[in-house]
Amino acid sequence: MNIWEKMLNVDRRWIFLAIGVVSIIPFLIGVGMPITTTAEVESIFNFVNELDKNDAMFISFDYAPGTQAENTPMGVAVMRHAFHNNVPVFITSYFPLGHGMAIGALAYVTNPSIPGFYQHVSFEEWEVFRSAGITDKDELVAAWENDGNVLPEGARGWVFEGRDFAMLGYAPLFHLVILGMTASIEAQYPQDVNGNLLNEMPMLLEHKSLREISLALTTAGSSACRAWIVYGREKVGVPIAFGVTAVMATDYFPYIQSGQIIGQMGGLRGAAEYEVLLAQNEITETTDKAFTGMDVQSAAHILIILLIIMGNIAFFAGGFHKKTAVKGRG
Amino acid sequence: MKRTVPLMIVLVGGLLMMIQYFIPHQYSQAVFNSYTEWAPIVGAFALILGVGSLTRVHSHKIRRKVKNWQFSWAVLIPLFAMPFLGIIWPQSLWGGMDEPSIFHFLFMHIQVPIQSTMFSLLAFYIASAAFRAFRAKSALATVLLLAAVIVMLGQVPIGEMFGRWLPETGLWILRYPNLAAKRAIMLGVGFGILATNLKIIFGVERNWLGGAGK
Repeated sequence: MNIWEKMLNVDRRWIFLAIGVVSIIPFLIGVGMPITTTAEVESIFNFVNELDKNDAMFISFDYAPGTQAENTPMGVAVMRHAFHNNVPVFITSYFPLGHGMAIGALAYVTNPSIPGFYQHVSFEEWEVFRSAGITDKDELVAAWENDGNVLPEGARGWVFEGRDFAMLGYAPLFHLVILGMTASIEAQYPQDVNGNLLNEMPMLLEHKSLREISLALTTAGSSACRAWIVYGREKVGVPIAFGVTAVMATDYFPYIQSGQIIGQMGGLRGAAEYEVLLAQNEITETTDKAFTGMDVQSAAHILIILLIIMGNIAFFAGGFHKKTAVKGRG
Repeated sequence: MKRTVPLMIVLVGGLLMMIQYFIPHQYSQAVFNSYTEWAPIVGAFALILGVGSLTRVHSHKIRRKVKNWQFSWAVLIPLFAMPFLGIIWPQSLWGGMDEPSIFHFLFMHIQVPIQSTMFSLLAFYIASAAFRAFRAKSALATVLLLAAVIVMLGQVPIGEMFGRWLPETGLWILRYPNLAAKRAIMLGVGFGILATNLKIIFGVERNWLGGAGK
């Protein structure tokens, strides 16, 4: 066995070890290589940036935990952007497992131990103000703070359940739920996941169906995202944006060109770009997990390309291409 | 009768929903609303069938002690334990689905890591497969290999260290050749779906009857 043969027959456990090493080291070092943004992500950012408290949007967590490393940072980044602009957010899920992902993302954005968090105010806590007819976000914040509530240090703002967000969660046959929400959101979700009645939520009273929604972002790890186009976009014209895994991203470029989606975050790179845009526009203090993860991806991609080059050198230098050709003809 | 009734339901339901889509009248909207309210209820019965079928298959395996029958317990126990813990188990003893609860703990500390780990393994297998299989054996294979390398490098920040041309070329590949190919495939698939749906609605395609149509 010559050197080229040995190279081609290298034990795959060495390759696994190399991938493991290059995946861990960048996390420990924290290189922070700069990322330039693309038009596909900028268009989503600009669209959300134009929205305000009079609009409303959906963020749908349409994926299972397997793709959370790619999808969750997308949902988190857009949720932060929406909260910063006081855009009410309906949070849904296409899959039962996505329900847990959605709850996890909201908990992350409102976690006091994470810098730049939003202080969560539950539906019951501000009932008095709601009963008094104070539902406008600016008036509500003023009244809430006049009542003695102080924004904790490090928090970027208050988020009131029912005013700024509604955790609708998973509902079975979600494509039909999207279809049903084109007529009435409340008919599909009479209550949120905490048992709060939607018809008591100011954000629902102002936005009763998908026709009154300014944007629906689906963060997806499967073709579930297409349901939002078929049943949401084509039925009532709600603007759609995608946040999909890297392997899926290539599938959805036609939807961008046709104007059926306003943009797409493709994989961890897409989420990292959104984080960069948030930080550049001082909506967040710094970038987050997706940006950190891009160093790992850089190292892993370089290693895979090196492996491909090494494999090809060994293949051709060892003359295996001729042997294969002879064998193939035979 | 066994064939005719389901076929008639599909024919009437299919045509009704197709026509309804193009008629923005209040009666048409009432049909639509009624459908969207009923369909999830009907769909919920599929869950009963699914759970029933899964239970039957795995309890059969356990009873007969077929090969790897032990793994059937790994299906059946969580299948019933999770709903039990989430819905029936008392809230005072960490019942329910919200944090803190046993259901939430099991989801966050078993389900999430298991699925994430399984998906993460792809990186290891892709690296190994790329080393062994990605060969410039022919002109087409070389084009594929070059495109893959450019897109892979263009997608990561380190690619920009080789110059802006690399990520821009990667994006060009995605936005034009990739888009053209994907659109062609999607159109083909779309026409295929349309044809299949029409065949089902008009009773030409009957495989969905599960043998009853033969």
